[in-house]
Amino acid sequence: MRQLKIAIVLLLIGGVLTTAAFFMAFYTAEMQSFGTVTFEEQIDTAYPLVGSNDAGYQYGRAWFSQKIFYFHVPVAEASFLILMIAAYFAVRFLMTRRREYDTKSRIAMETSLIFVVLTMITGVLWTKASWNVWWEWEPRLTTYFIMMLMMIAYFVLRNSTEDEERRALYGAVFAILTAINAPISFMITRVIPSSHPVVFQSGMATSNLLPFIIAQIGMLMIGFAVYTMRMSEERLSERVEVAKEELEA
Amino acid sequence: MGLSWRQYKAILRKDIVMELRTKEMVTSMGIYALLTMVVYQIALSQSGSAFDPRQIAAGLLWLAFIFTSMLGLNRSLIHEKDQGCLEALLLSPVDRPVIFFAKATGNLIFLLIVEAITIPLFAFLFLQKGGYAPGAWWMIPLVLFAGSVGIAGVGTLLATMSVNTKGKDVVLAVMMVPLMYPLLLVAVSATTAAILGGDGSTQQFWQGLGMVAAYDAIMILAAYALYEFVVGA
Repeated sequence: MRQLKIAIVLLLIGGVLTTAAFFMAFYTAEMQSFGTVTFEEQIDTAYPLVGSNDAGYQYGRAWFSQKIFYFHVPVAEASFLILMIAAYFAVRFLMTRRREYDTKSRIAMETSLIFVVLTMITGVLWTKASWNVWWEWEPRLTTYFIMMLMMIAYFVLRNSTEDEERRALYGAVFAILTAINAPISFMITRVIPSSHPVVFQSGMATSNLLPFIIAQIGMLMIGFAVYTMRMSEERLSERVEVAKEELEA
Repeated sequence: MGLSWRQYKAILRKDIVMELRTKEMVTSMGIYALLTMVVYQIALSQSGSAFDPRQIAAGLLWLAFIFTSMLGLNRSLIHEKDQGCLEALLLSPVDRPVIFFAKATGNLIFLLIVEAITIPLFAFLFLQKGGYAPGAWWMIPLVLFAGSVGIAGVGTLLATMSVNTKGKDVVLAVMMVPLMYPLLLVAVSATTAAILGGDGSTQQFWQGLGMVAAYDAIMILAAYALYEFVVGA
């Protein structure tokens, strides 16, 4: 029960932090020029360029779509981290064959899938605003999509396996395969030039870094809270099962 | 080592003898590949005379191979399971990796046979207009072999899992396609370079082939390490 309380507190703090980052992203963060893109070049198709007296051109309004960076990237990074945790628990399960590691691995995978879906949604919104298409078969998008498919396959495999011990073993094996294959997919498409921005290579102003870090910490807290809450739910349902069996006996 | 090698040969021979008697896998895979060609004809039927099918030939070929291989992999392990052969293998004092490599080699051989039949057929049906591959003749067999090693290796591990699930074929497809994505991407790149030729194609070919080999090495190592857990379950 104590863990659940901690989880709820973390969820609240995480929510406050991400909300704070949301406001900071709009009020304190500066404009960021990405990589090779110069300011004269139109990259934000949602808001057209207008003439300005001193600096040549300006966007009609702040790069509105850029604000998604403060959510999209923290959520994506959290999803990777949680996937790695799921793979770690899968390895632990194969080493010890203890059921709790299997449950932990599965719950971590669930949490990661939530974050992956959130990354997809924020990403697609940004793609529409910035590239004027909802989806493009671009290396970064494709590989992330493939990773999501592998995580869905993990649950398909589990649901399709009836024997409990077997389900745990197969799940662990496939979780490890997913964790190995995800970086390979990312690496392999690196040979193909990508139009996905790489923000951190082009340097960031402190006023931008701050909301980003706050959002990142908030997202990780929310991720941890979701994971812990699901875990305690899982433990409770296990106890109910045990109690049921005892009653029947 | 000598014992493992003999065990490996015995399991492989069993698979080949069974295939020679029933001819089930190669026949069904071959017919499936042929039917895929018919479907390709429908897909390409409206493309017009200006379209050069060589541009997408590599992709079409690998698509046929990946789906055909899934059919064969399922067959190969359903036999083992239904006839209780896998249980007997597990009872006998054979190392698990030996079983894995023997099964994977068997699957690789059948896949290569089907590919050897499909490619001339594909060239005959679709590539007559543009002429055949301008690259060196060994390029296409080399990349086909390297790619098939990856398909057979990872596929054997996945099929061993999927035969024990409710939705056998579907589960295999759902797991296999995303896991094969990196391999297919680079294999298609290398094969296209071999088919089209032209400037920089040699570099593209070796780059693609190198990455296929790297994928094979990493994923087969992982499959080899994980097979023990899967096959004993």
